[in-house]
Amino acid sequence: MARIELSGIQKRWGDNFGVRNVDIDIADEEFIVFLGPSGCGKTTTMRMIAGLEDPSDGEIRMNGELMNDIDARDRDVAMVFQGYALYPNMSVFENIRFPLRMRGIPRARHGELVREAAELVELTDFLDRKPAALSGGQRQRAALARAIVRQPQAFLMDEPLSNLDAKLRQAMRVQIKRIQRELKITTVYVTHDQIEAMTLADRIAIMQSGEIQQIGTPDEIYNAPANTFVAGFIGSPPMNLVDGVLEGGVFRSPGIEVAGLPEQRGGQVALGIRPEDCSIDGDSEQAQGDSAPHLTGAVYGVEPTGDLTYVTLRVSGKLFEVKAHRNYRAALDSEASVRFDLERVHFFESKSGSRLQIG
Amino acid sequence: MAAKRRSRGESLTLRYAVLGAWALFCVAPVLWFLSIGLRPRVEIITPQPIYWPTFSLDAWHMIWEDWPMAKYLRNSVAAIFGSVLIDLVLAIPAAYSLSRYTYRGRDDIGFYILSTRMMAPAIVAVPIFFLFKNLGLLDTIWALMLIYAAINLSFVTWIIRSYMLDIPRELEDAARTDGASDLRILWEIVIPAVLPGIITAAVIAMIFAINEFLFTLLIASTPDAYTMSVALANFTGGSDGVIYNAIALVAFLAFTPVFLVVVAIQRHLSRGLTMGAVKG
Ligand SMILES: Nc1ncnc2c1ncn2[C@@H]1O[C@H](COP(=O)(O)OP(=O)(O)O)[C@@H](O)[C@H]1O
Ligand SMILES: [Mg+2]
Repeated sequence: MARIELSGIQKRWGDNFGVRNVDIDIADEEFIVFLGPSGCGKTTTMRMIAGLEDPSDGEIRMNGELMNDIDARDRDVAMVFQGYALYPNMSVFENIRFPLRMRGIPRARHGELVREAAELVELTDFLDRKPAALSGGQRQRAALARAIVRQPQAFLMDEPLSNLDAKLRQAMRVQIKRIQRELKITTVYVTHDQIEAMTLADRIAIMQSGEIQQIGTPDEIYNAPANTFVAGFIGSPPMNLVDGVLEGGVFRSPGIEVAGLPEQRGGQVALGIRPEDCSIDGDSEQAQGDSAPHLTGAVYGVEPTGDLTYVTLRVSGKLFEVKAHRNYRAALDSEASVRFDLERVHFFESKSGSRLQIG
Repeated sequence: MAAKRRSRGESLTLRYAVLGAWALFCVAPVLWFLSIGLRPRVEIITPQPIYWPTFSLDAWHMIWEDWPMAKYLRNSVAAIFGSVLIDLVLAIPAAYSLSRYTYRGRDDIGFYILSTRMMAPAIVAVPIFFLFKNLGLLDTIWALMLIYAAINLSFVTWIIRSYMLDIPRELEDAARTDGASDLRILWEIVIPAVLPGIITAAVIAMIFAINEFLFTLLIASTPDAYTMSVALANFTGGSDGVIYNAIALVAFLAFTPVFLVVVAIQRHLSRGLTMGAVKG
């Protein structure tokens, strides 16, 4: 349907940058997710793609064609808004039909197209209702159907699930992914929820303060975060980051010593290790090493969740998270030792925070 | 517990008593009017108190048969509805522009529109008289229509604008990405969404127009353009002396439609009246 390229996109309000130097090439049929904390410029970027906001600098192209001066209504993208933005005076049927009427699609086909879209989101029984008489989930579906109905060049979805409760959110997530795969329409999806991003995306663009920090597949972002921001943003709980010194193949920090690392790099670094890539001594299900442990600390908290146990350690005043087997228990303030999976240890430059390639 | 409940009961009684007294205070004069209107003339001017009034339709027949009351009523209705229509046609696009677009001088224009309401009407009475005289519109309902429209335009615009500010921006953005033009958005999204505001503004404009007296008196010099409000004033004079019962009846008739409309929309009305204050 559409390839979307953003090059050098900026958005300024006076001296404030909403979005800064965004370059991204979104492939046809791709599902791309903009992920980042609130206020990082996700919505602004999306509104610029939709044509609702003019970029201060840079170019937006769809299928190679420059879109900067093309009005929102001529861009043929469909947007799903965070607040759904259903037209309150129209029935669900009329809401879904609205884009068909506006785009001059022959009247005779409206009924059939609306019904098809409603079927796809399982809303056929509610077509006569006004939006006010729908539940949150149904409103969400109505907004989705209105976007789907005219088979646009691209879908733009701005935190479409953020107003739903957790259970409904998960159900809708699967449905959105399924629909996107069926319709094969390029989709730009904005969220601050990393689970949504990881599960939905072909590629994720992580943003912070108006800038893209990393673009990559969920695996790339998870396995090789480009900097400490990305490392600390993805994962639940996120990656442990410990400041220390790398010298002669050994990383040292109070309470932590990791040897056997490649020797060519050194200096002030941050070591990153995910809670799931650590094993804690005394945890029956995890491999026990014979070598010295990498970290020792006092147990600060033990949180069983049912399918696993979160263990928080205090290591020289800082907290460190480990995921242990669900049967693991330990007394508070008892000493615990942790081993890292050395294949999965990350290093970041202390000053810039950017990833160090080691070995 | 019981004590608490009783005290709540007492305060409820008190509340009803206060509200009831207030309602009586407001409604009594109106009912008094009606009772005067439906009594024979002699009974009204008699010095003795009358406890059981006689019912009479004298005044009713008089106002329809001896005076062209139907014509006055028609003039009123035409001038008022015409003026409200003019107001809406002008105010809705103006309000939309003031609430949605950013352009140089927008806020000044908004303030200017409102400021037309700030001076005493008497200041422009003479110029207006000559204006309509030169236009050849004196003594016509067209002039009344225009003058009522001009008087009310500012706050009709202002009320509708404040309702428009309340419409979520997303709604219009959605319509735009769905392919709607600005006029379409105004017509299909914005106007339905601010309909309560439009109705409120229209009703308030109607009330002001019905009660408008100064300019009506200035422009309407013969019964051709008399409205209810001026006709009412003219009753007081005449060779028959003051005809209280007819005056009361006409006043009651002029009051009733307004009263009914206000009751019907009172929920919106209070919001409309406070609107300009809340949303600058
Ligand atoms: N109309 C505007 N005027 C000024 N600043 C704005 C405007 N819209 C957004 N911003 C600023 O731009 C930044 C990015 O906003 P936004 O794109 O809405 O973030 P997100 O959707 O990621 O939460 C924020 O700091 C916000 O305050
Ligand atoms: Mg946002």
